[in-house]
Amino acid sequence: MNTLWIVVIATVVIYLAYNFYARRIDRDIIKADAKRATPAKMYMDGVDFMPTSKNVLYGYHFKSIAAAGPIVGPITAANLWGWFPCLLWLVIGVSFIGWVSDYSAIMVSVRNDGNSLSAISHKLIAPRTRTILFIFIFFYLMLLAGAFVGILAAILSARPDVPFGIIMLALMGLLAGQMMYRWKMNLILVTVIVVAVTLGAMALGPWGQTKNEKGAVVPGPVAAAVVSLNASIDNLNAKRPILSLEDPTYADPRIPLPGADGKRPTTPAYDSATKQIRTLPNYLLWMVFLFAFSYCGANMPIWRFAQPVNYIGFWVMLITIVLSAIGALVAPLTGVTDAAGKAIGAFALTAVKDLGFAAPAKPFTAWQPLWPMLFVTIACGAISGWHALVGSVGTARQLEYETDGLPVGGGSMFGEYTLALLSLVAVSIAGVGGGGGRFAAGVGKLIYAGTFKGIPEVFGTALGFGAFVVIVLTVTQLVFRVMRVTLTEWAGEAIPLVRNMHVSSIISMVLTLALVLTGTWVYLWQMFGASNQLMAALSLLVVTVWLKSEKRNPSYALYPMLFMYVTTLFATAVTARNLYVTIASNPAMSGLPVAGAWAMIVLAVLLIIAALFIGWDGLKAYQKYSATPAAPKPAITTA
Amino acid sequence: MSEKKKYVRPSGLKGLWHGFKETIYGMSAHDMSRAALRTRASMEHLFILITMGDLLGIPILPPYYSLRLLPHVVPQIATWKRRMLREKDVSDAMF
Repeated sequence: MNTLWIVVIATVVIYLAYNFYARRIDRDIIKADAKRATPAKMYMDGVDFMPTSKNVLYGYHFKSIAAAGPIVGPITAANLWGWFPCLLWLVIGVSFIGWVSDYSAIMVSVRNDGNSLSAISHKLIAPRTRTILFIFIFFYLMLLAGAFVGILAAILSARPDVPFGIIMLALMGLLAGQMMYRWKMNLILVTVIVVAVTLGAMALGPWGQTKNEKGAVVPGPVAAAVVSLNASIDNLNAKRPILSLEDPTYADPRIPLPGADGKRPTTPAYDSATKQIRTLPNYLLWMVFLFAFSYCGANMPIWRFAQPVNYIGFWVMLITIVLSAIGALVAPLTGVTDAAGKAIGAFALTAVKDLGFAAPAKPFTAWQPLWPMLFVTIACGAISGWHALVGSVGTARQLEYETDGLPVGGGSMFGEYTLALLSLVAVSIAGVGGGGGRFAAGVGKLIYAGTFKGIPEVFGTALGFGAFVVIVLTVTQLVFRVMRVTLTEWAGEAIPLVRNMHVSSIISMVLTLALVLTGTWVYLWQMFGASNQLMAALSLLVVTVWLKSEKRNPSYALYPMLFMYVTTLFATAVTARNLYVTIASNPAMSGLPVAGAWAMIVLAVLLIIAALFIGWDGLKAYQKYSATPAAPKPAITTA
Repeated sequence: MSEKKKYVRPSGLKGLWHGFKETIYGMSAHDMSRAALRTRASMEHLFILITMGDLLGIPILPPYYSLRLLPHVVPQIATWKRRMLREKDVSDAMF
């Protein structure tokens, strides 16, 4: 397999699924009509409801949905099961489930006066569905924030060449906000300055690094300063870990890959003899940095920090994606090789690893069967519940014509699938390195090939790391902003103190910190994936019930909903089992990890109960609409 | 008054370039312009609430001044009413 084949597969799948399936559903089931007035036209207020060009809306929806999910998911899944099952799930998922969820959520909202999915579920299914959905969303956001903070802190702690670029990103974000909104400078000039400085800072991270006679990397001046900072922080606790925990899946970014002898080396953050991950004080330092960054994003005026940081992040990501995509296309054609003399376009990762269906032979071992765990490990890129939320509130209210729903909703989902494939390609051609490291190494190779050897691998890898951290971080700060708002709305009535944005932000961050410190990263990610996919199943449930209430054929949403519902319930149960077996009941574990495992098990049980309630209410609503015919509604048309 | 010219989308290569520019704008800056509009709208609506509070039974300003300001506020009233009366939930505050 090489990268060119992936490009061919992506193109063919998008063409077939969009033209022969999605368009048929749009024409025959939803019956999108360009003459029917959309909420954007009927309720135009120049703010939330505003007819917008489909091209602008495509960009807006794609940017809103394509964040860190399609990158982190394939990286983690390819590591666990190999690249082939991931490719299959991405192809099948996006073709039959992913676009269905995005597109249908938008169209259901358009046909229901631009109401959000929670408001529609309140009306169509049951009042308590909305309440459960909100609770669901808060825990979903907490798991998401925990998974992202965990992986970012591990990267910043382990890679001294990365933090400088991220610190500069924060400073450039502040500067960009000042230049754009206070000094009213030209947007293009602002963009050139802040993006160039951020990229320059990312390149400065590995600048000057060399290798010693043993082949070990000797950091350059900037990275050496970070190493020195980390060491001085670790010395505060005499280089002893604050806590140690074991990751039986070896997916934590702090665990090094096995060497030539097949054994994992001991590093400051990993003890190969005891298999314990050592949480050193510098890990906490970078976690505090991430919380401070997110606190600014969540509480400062949005134009001052969060928006400019996102804006810079977008350009960094776009440059990385475009160069990598060119690399994926040209690498097999030009036959370009990396520093080790291996062809860059060729896949180095195993196609299929252990599918994991057999029960683990050793005690206290995690069970990671392909079904259902793959389907929650890769969420975005195949299907995601987040998209339905964004689509129903943000996008549906700006849709100018109903016929724009498919290119915007479905088209964006296919775009995100392409991003997930690119991420899969990057990790598959790298072959070595773990988690974000493997992705960055792959991006480095692709950029080297895509620029026709213009940008050396080491700088391409730095850009890959930078882009990875930037995209995850920009999402994390927004997640904390949304968490704060959700917590205020959810508990503000009962606990007035929570209405204070600083209090609600700090509560959100403390809960997230507890999750990160006590949980094993991969479980956190899989729990987030399960809650995300469960939300997708619930959005498909709303679509199914709506289709039934409108006396249309609901099959195209019903079967994906059933598959996702059952799969995610089982995945949540398997994750809870893994937490219990590998941590909670493991005599080698004690203290914080055990408490964290129990907290996550309780969370898993709560998610399952909430999903069962919504499923039951949905079933009753479905039966009700099956029995009663819908009253015909006159179509409102524009003049 | 001359009749407003209907906007015609460019076609061919020009259309492609136009579409590309719109998409990049949508990805990079559309959410920023929406946030700016939202901020402006909330300010305007606060102003209308202060000046025209009588309409909702909140007499903040004496009616004499409200009437003097009414002609300037008229274009915003429909939007204001729609936004004030629309049912909102957490997800509205999220995005």
